[in-house]
Amino acid sequence: MGTISTAFSIMTQALDADQAALNVVANNVANANTPGYTTETPNFQQNQPLDVGGVSYGDGVAETGATSVRDRVLTERLNQQQQVASSTGSRLAALNAMQTLFTPDSGSSSATAGDISSDLTGFFNSFSSLESNPTNNSLREEVLSSASTLAADVSNAAASLNSQRSALDQEASGVTSQVNSLTSAIAQLDQQIRSTSPNADAGVLEDQRQQDLSKLSQLIGINQITTENNGISVTTTSGQPLVSEGQSFQLTTGTVGGVTHFFVGGADITAQLDAGGGQLGGYLTARDQDIPSVLGSLDQLAYSVSTQVNTLNNTGTDLNGATGVIVPPATVASSLNIFSAPPGLATGSVSGSALAMSVVMTDPSQIAAAGAGQATGDNSNATAMAEVANQAVVNGETPSNFYANFVSELGATVSSVQTENTAANASVTQLQTQNDALSSVNLNDEASAMSTLERSYQAASQVFNMLNTLMASVLNLGEQSTVS
Amino acid sequence: MTLIEEGLQGMRELNLPLESIEIREVVAEASRALASLDADRLEELALACRALNRNRLPNASSAPDFNSESAERERDQALLRQAREAAGGMRAFGRILAATRANLVVMRRMRQVREGKTEYSEAQARGWAPPEPGYGDN
Repeated sequence: MGTISTAFSIMTQALDADQAALNVVANNVANANTPGYTTETPNFQQNQPLDVGGVSYGDGVAETGATSVRDRVLTERLNQQQQVASSTGSRLAALNAMQTLFTPDSGSSSATAGDISSDLTGFFNSFSSLESNPTNNSLREEVLSSASTLAADVSNAAASLNSQRSALDQEASGVTSQVNSLTSAIAQLDQQIRSTSPNADAGVLEDQRQQDLSKLSQLIGINQITTENNGISVTTTSGQPLVSEGQSFQLTTGTVGGVTHFFVGGADITAQLDAGGGQLGGYLTARDQDIPSVLGSLDQLAYSVSTQVNTLNNTGTDLNGATGVIVPPATVASSLNIFSAPPGLATGSVSGSALAMSVVMTDPSQIAAAGAGQATGDNSNATAMAEVANQAVVNGETPSNFYANFVSELGATVSSVQTENTAANASVTQLQTQNDALSSVNLNDEASAMSTLERSYQAASQVFNMLNTLMASVLNLGEQSTVS
Repeated sequence: MTLIEEGLQGMRELNLPLESIEIREVVAEASRALASLDADRLEELALACRALNRNRLPNASSAPDFNSESAERERDQALLRQAREAAGGMRAFGRILAATRANLVVMRRMRQVREGKTEYSEAQARGWAPPEPGYGDN
């Protein structure tokens, strides 16, 4: 009712509300530098007015807690772009390491591949030199030496690619424990939020959940779905649940075909993760697509060059007047092989050819420079072997062009992933700036809010004093007093 | 067959090396400009592409010149090859374009939120509006 005591009550509530709001401001200022903290604003709510005899009497205001200033659309978009940035970043690192193997400056050593392009030229040029003097022993040794350099560089490149693939496999496997730890934490937070704040922003708990989701986005491609009671479900980008109804689903690993595969609830999701985001997506794309593609090209090159040169050498006549004895199928165990026969020769499979590439011939006199049935001074077979350099023997291309094209393809892939990574990082920066502008504590805003609330508090105090004076006057009605 | 495979096959058929990367560079530069929301740079690149396109139009008034036709055909082939080389970059550009569009939708939404804050009172921006005055409200 509209009594003085009601007015006292209203003013008391106003003072309490302002005090609570000032506490929210103080909390914001105290957490201005806390990572992941989202600024909060006080909620004021009008108390239910009293209706007496058809007349409504206001009942003041109450502060009903604070709301964090966040935009879920923005944070989800930020998480999505973080997934792309992490994925392209880890893939780019792997691609750069691969590209180093085919960069001539890296030199020829046991650890890195040399300049295979020069090796190919040098190898076929050695046959051209042999043409001029087919019986010269030093020129024959030069052929075997250049063959050894080529085989060693190709084999080293394949070995390095396999090592990189193993390293990526380990990196990918290592992400699993971090993903599981984060999904467990998110599930726990989700349970707390759904039980304590089913209808309102959960403040610090929500901040923690968002931070964990952000970290998870950097590791794996996820989708985030808001559910009832302020909860969330998290799935992989292909839809396998990671967190649902406050429960986490662990990502497990197992070895399939020599590489780590990833499972959720018994289902193998490796292929889906391959196309997903986060570090894991990048590692798996490099492990399962980029490296096998380059290794496949290198295998094709090694297979074609080895078989072509071996076949020609076995059909010619060597310095001892011997001709190669070809054992079916093809040249698996032929007597005048320069290179070791590729492991998949019998079946026509090129797989493993680069790694196994080596020179098996030790005696330079076994180089069949002369044609079949020709005297040892003949050079027709040396000419034929030198001519392989200009023949489309590797997938319809010359060996040098095939190599140049696959290295160029690798360069183009690196370039486009680099561009995407730059773009994704720029997106993350832009969105982060937007998010900071919205959700970070702005000390100017807080100073302004504090000033407003102070004034409001002072106003309520003034009214309180006036009511106090009025009450004293009422109590002293009819009596001589200082307030009359 | 994918675009890049088509491009590579075309290059193989033409027996051309991969040295020319002009269009690929333009696409990569456009991707970078788009990512950093550099409208001026994008405008420059668009004008450059338009000029390139205009230079490709045949001159109808001139008499046929078989030598120049041959040179033009070679230039066409070079451009075709470059365009095919740029296929991977174009795909990346497409993904960046889609991401930028999605980002812009979010940013526009944030701008509207901010404009709402400046247009109305602070209390309203903070999610609280005073109640409508009713009978008996003094």
